[in-house]
Amino acid sequence: MNVIQVSNLSKDFGEVKAVDQVNFFVKTDEIFGFLGPNGAGKTTTIRMMTGVLRPTSGTIQIYGKEVWKNQIMIKQILGNVPEEANVYMDLTGFQNLNFIGELYSIPKEIRKERAFNLLRQFELYERRNSLAKKYSKGMKQRLLLCMALMSEPKILFLDEPTSGLDVQSSIIIKNLIKEYNKNGMTVFLTTHNMDVANEMCDRIAIINKGKIIKCDTPDNLRTVEREYQAINLYLSKEINPSIFTNVQGIKSFSKVKDYYHAIVSDIDQAISGIIKITTEHNIKIHKINTPEPSLEEVFINAIKEGETKNLE
Amino acid sequence: MIQIKRSFAISKKDLRIYYNKGPVVIQGILFPIMLFLAFTIGREILPIYIISGLMTMVLFLTSTSIGPVVFPWETRQKTLERLITCPISIRTILLGNVWSSFLFGCIFSTVPLILGIIFLGLWKEMNLLILVPGILLAAFSFSSFSLILSVPPTDTPASTMILTILIKFPLIFVSPLFMPISLNPITFISPLSYFLDILNVGLGSPSAFGSLGLFFDFGYLIIFGFVFLFLAFILHAKVLQKRFKG
Repeated sequence: MNVIQVSNLSKDFGEVKAVDQVNFFVKTDEIFGFLGPNGAGKTTTIRMMTGVLRPTSGTIQIYGKEVWKNQIMIKQILGNVPEEANVYMDLTGFQNLNFIGELYSIPKEIRKERAFNLLRQFELYERRNSLAKKYSKGMKQRLLLCMALMSEPKILFLDEPTSGLDVQSSIIIKNLIKEYNKNGMTVFLTTHNMDVANEMCDRIAIINKGKIIKCDTPDNLRTVEREYQAINLYLSKEINPSIFTNVQGIKSFSKVKDYYHAIVSDIDQAISGIIKITTEHNIKIHKINTPEPSLEEVFINAIKEGETKNLE
Repeated sequence: MIQIKRSFAISKKDLRIYYNKGPVVIQGILFPIMLFLAFTIGREILPIYIISGLMTMVLFLTSTSIGPVVFPWETRQKTLERLITCPISIRTILLGNVWSSFLFGCIFSTVPLILGIIFLGLWKEMNLLILVPGILLAAFSFSSFSLILSVPPTDTPASTMILTILIKFPLIFVSPLFMPISLNPITFISPLSYFLDILNVGLGSPSAFGSLGLFFDFGYLIIFGFVFLFLAFILHAKVLQKRFKG
């Protein structure tokens, strides 16, 4: 079942098209990643999805309800950690959570119990009575996540949740998001970090300049990328890479550190050609492997393809 | 009803966070004291007018000190986006601001009254049935008015403070503070004139607006408060999007 359905969504800021005819859906219980460089339109999209910004055109439906027209009802089931958002510095960790609980009309006793549980889970319980301005950046981000989880939302929106965090906070946050997702919470996150997207997301949409370029599972995105596979070659001696450039099936050949890297369109032809030439030049092949394309390669190629299409 | 309850939560948060902030302390506490001294030192004024004048100024300045800073402050601190993704409307946030300004104004304006009762014997002529509703109504009206001052979508509290001073101080200067209300046409503009008249009547002096004076005073303040409250609802809803542009 699709919990979020985004159709022909656009947002203009004057002359600037921040989001341009975007379409995608998010299924129940999945972690959906929105991957893109800075200024791609990720934050504007998430702001429209959480009812902060009104779309210029198009629709966003959550559980079949139009977000802008049913804001209060929709917000009741959402949790949100906006990018650059902050906690109330002059309130303690507990007071921040208690305040959010009051805004969701959670009864006092449940509010207190839930706040304490979250503070324990996110390793903030010992500092619950300290003012938030005395927290580190990682602690503030964890507190923001606690605030988003206070209402036990059905859908959690996270805008760059681990951006600029220390390793410990990053690990705590990633693990707990996965745990909440396992327990049935749908998660929509934006990131420009490949590792986060790769590690956490069930499906990823790559967005650039306000348009979605690709949308699929990380594995499928990599499979499509295998149209151009890579070969890494470790040879017995140094050679001039240009001797391989005319080999059939090889698109490019270059030296990287202590090995040679080839992008190939036909792996069988390329390997036959490589063996033939190395034999002719009396070079031994110490090791040969075909690395999986990384999500980073997929991302970079997708951005390049998108820009080429735009130029055309 | 749920939204009203939630607005109380916002007002509690505002009271905890904003009343020790510099701009609020300066405009809400220091300005009334300094203006009071400037108006009273070296002048012969009846005690009743000293107290009603001081109460008017304290209530006006304190209840309009928080409203203008909340939005720019929360925009700058980046807590506003977090707040508006909660299941509340912009009206709920504004009502929360009104309650906190209202409480702040009520609490501080009763201090001169208590001092007047203790040291100047004002209790003899005092009519609480006029004073209490008058204070509550004026606190609400001035608080609503203060919301208008935070409409410009800036994240710099100092910018709104300048605008605030430019609007609030002329209203103080055109009102007949610390003297009987003279029926100068310009005094009719300022809501302070009507609150001052309520206080003067409540402390035993006749109304400057004649036998129906109190009716006019309460009527003006009710209209003033609700007009500015609804105006604030409309204008803030319009500019909210601009606070998250780009």
